[in-house]
Amino acid sequence: MSQSNESPSGVTIFWQKCGRLAGYWRAVFGSGSVYLFVVSLLILGRLISPQFWSGENLLQTVKDVSILGVVATGIAFITLSGNFVDLSIPVIMACAGIVAVYALPLGAGVAMLAGMVTGCVMGCINGLAVGYLRLNPILWTLAAMSVMDGVTRWAYGGKWVYVRADTAPGAAFSALYRGSLFGFLPVTVALFALVAAAGHFLMRHTGYGRQLRMTGASYEAARLSGIPVRRAVMLSFVISGLTAALGGLIKTSFSMYGDVEIGLGYDFQAITAVVLGGVTLAGGRGAMSGVVGGVLVMGLLGRVLPLIPHVGQDEQYAIRGALFVAVVGLNLLTLRRAGRSDA
Amino acid sequence: MSTALELKGVSKRYPGTLAVSEVDLHVYAGEVHALLGENGAGKSTLMKILAGSFDDYTGDVFVDGNRIELHTPAIARAAGIGMIHQELSLAPPISIAENILAGRLPTRLGMLDRPAMLIEARRCLALVGLDHLGPLTPVEELAQHEAQLVEIARALGREPRILVMDEPTSSLSREEVQRLFEIIRGLRHRGIAVIYISHHLPEVFEVADRVTVLRDGRKVGTHEIGELSSQQLVKMMVGSAVSDLIPQRSAQPGELRLRVEGLSRWGFFHDCSFQVRAGEILGIGGLSGAGRSELVRSLCGIDPRDGGRILLNDREIAPRNCAEAVRTGLAYLTEDRKREGLALRLTLAENLLAAIIPRQCRMGVYVGRDRSEIVSRNMDSLHIQPPEPDREVAMLSGGNQQKVLLAKWLATGPEVLILDEPTRGVDVGARVTIHRAVAEMADRGGSVILISSDLPELVGLSNRVLIMRHGHLVGEISGDRCTEEAVLLAANGEEPVGLAR
Repeated sequence: MSQSNESPSGVTIFWQKCGRLAGYWRAVFGSGSVYLFVVSLLILGRLISPQFWSGENLLQTVKDVSILGVVATGIAFITLSGNFVDLSIPVIMACAGIVAVYALPLGAGVAMLAGMVTGCVMGCINGLAVGYLRLNPILWTLAAMSVMDGVTRWAYGGKWVYVRADTAPGAAFSALYRGSLFGFLPVTVALFALVAAAGHFLMRHTGYGRQLRMTGASYEAARLSGIPVRRAVMLSFVISGLTAALGGLIKTSFSMYGDVEIGLGYDFQAITAVVLGGVTLAGGRGAMSGVVGGVLVMGLLGRVLPLIPHVGQDEQYAIRGALFVAVVGLNLLTLRRAGRSDA
Repeated sequence: MSTALELKGVSKRYPGTLAVSEVDLHVYAGEVHALLGENGAGKSTLMKILAGSFDDYTGDVFVDGNRIELHTPAIARAAGIGMIHQELSLAPPISIAENILAGRLPTRLGMLDRPAMLIEARRCLALVGLDHLGPLTPVEELAQHEAQLVEIARALGREPRILVMDEPTSSLSREEVQRLFEIIRGLRHRGIAVIYISHHLPEVFEVADRVTVLRDGRKVGTHEIGELSSQQLVKMMVGSAVSDLIPQRSAQPGELRLRVEGLSRWGFFHDCSFQVRAGEILGIGGLSGAGRSELVRSLCGIDPRDGGRILLNDREIAPRNCAEAVRTGLAYLTEDRKREGLALRLTLAENLLAAIIPRQCRMGVYVGRDRSEIVSRNMDSLHIQPPEPDREVAMLSGGNQQKVLLAKWLATGPEVLILDEPTRGVDVGARVTIHRAVAEMADRGGSVILISSDLPELVGLSNRVLIMRHGHLVGEISGDRCTEEAVLLAANGEEPVGLAR
């Protein structure tokens, strides 16, 4: 070991260079490697169809996944905290939508607020269970999912509750999905961008984000460092509840009715996007830029796959599932090769 | 007597250190051979070699005169070497019979042969005097000492000719220890060679025929137990001190910093009172399991407390969790670096700053005030190699990881720094650096509580040493009387040399 204070030895300089190189590599390809995927899909799409690169098509692609993007942003916080995913996302989305539709006569703003509060409350419940009672996140949120799903079905009889577009609040609510800003930018895409930017800020530039990363990377080390680990985990579920509620509102605005099954499949798609984006399931590693990339890959896949002959809806499901397995597998493989016992 | 086991020039190298170096060992059939040494002397590595855990040791091992390459656990078992580990390796929800016969359950036509299993399990249980237990009882329903005996029954059931016991009494009461010794004497009569590893000198004197002492991976010597006194044995274990590497401190302790009165946690430690002054390093010595770590963990709010008062600078504090402890100025450097100390997948800088995140925020926004300055100052003063803040901590050597952990706590500017085995498993260079940093912190008026099983370190750094035994602080050794021998003897409950209370 070199102990010289005066001038750095050759070994020291070598290590510094290696470290810097590793830093660059991580910055460009770490969470960014998903963008290689994005570019390949863009090229593949162009090869299949000349219109693929039109601004209209690309914007539509983003719009397709803006709900997913909003939901995935919240999920990323849970994954970062080392708790994998919130499986009750679909029910939170549905409940937020149903509550909003019921509250719609009071005004569109009130309705959306009510929806968000619903998501916040459900996130709090999950957060208390997983963060403070240390219940297994998968089992708890799965149980919460089925309980809330059952209660919702019982309370509403599984009926659709329609948004009345002929009222002023109804029209305003409808614009959440259909409206656009400055004549070209869909509101949903703007919301996705806003949520992603907020997520980036929270994850990267706040004390909370740093504490959450530490908590996910090593729960005990974080706890002994004086980080309020339980609160950090709880808040990640609240954030996820809020984004799920927003996603549910947009989805309800799209369908123009509230229903229990509105959020079906978003849990799995969101975690696929998050893991694709380089947020490791082991927790503690990942960035918002990667999550956005993962969401874009999901969107591009949705555009490219139907263009390939003989690929129908069922095949697309299978391909998405295979993608998830491949990404998680690769993820674990690289971690294990690096000698991680936690992988 | 015939030789059961012979080791000739056995060495084992870990990356960076020679854990066992050219050890010769002769164990006769029908003797109890004690293996003694301080932590890190190479006892457990030697034992792992015998268990067949390594395929890269060098030197020769002879069992009953035949040279055997102990490269896998199966080879070791086939050679007749049985192991009883310090930590129980039984599966709690499974029955005694299945635990005892794990890996060799009797079968007939591919199906479990239940009657044969029960007969064999009863035979094994009888060997340790547990014939009153039903073989189908799940292990989790047993008392701790019964489980320990089941563990021994499992090893005996394989008819070993050499039985290695690693601290077998750590979970046993006095009467149970006597019972275990009866069993060991019975094994001796049946011609089984017992290798007995322990920290507890009185036990060794009671049960062993001969004793081999290891130090720094080398054999110091083998003697008949009757030839030695505890003082001589301790001298062999401790050796001539390497404490000249430890920095000398001249500064006198200042005003009272921390006062602990009657701190208790039921079942772990009782009625512990002590004081630490500014600029003082207070050592706490004792055997593993004496309750030292538990005491300071409760002090820092990591584990609960059942009673007592803590006064920091004459103000009563009662930290309920680590966050409060860190805020009030207590810093606890854990003995378990990999699990509780560092987030290995995060970078050096992230780990170093982990305990001061709130201080670097303004309105919740991370501004990272003096961030790079704090990081580079600590990297420089502790010679962390490589000095690359964005490097993943997992990529650093053990010694440098330990320095990062120390730097994390030094960065909080603690009133009282509590170190739990601060140099366990680190290389000599890192050890020196860490000692120097701790001494510097004390010289600048910081208070340090040092728990260490590394006697030269404990005695060399501390102003005075408290002795803890069975959850009680039993005395204090300070000044010239504070020697490695005195601490080790007092920790063992032998002749309280210079014990002041």
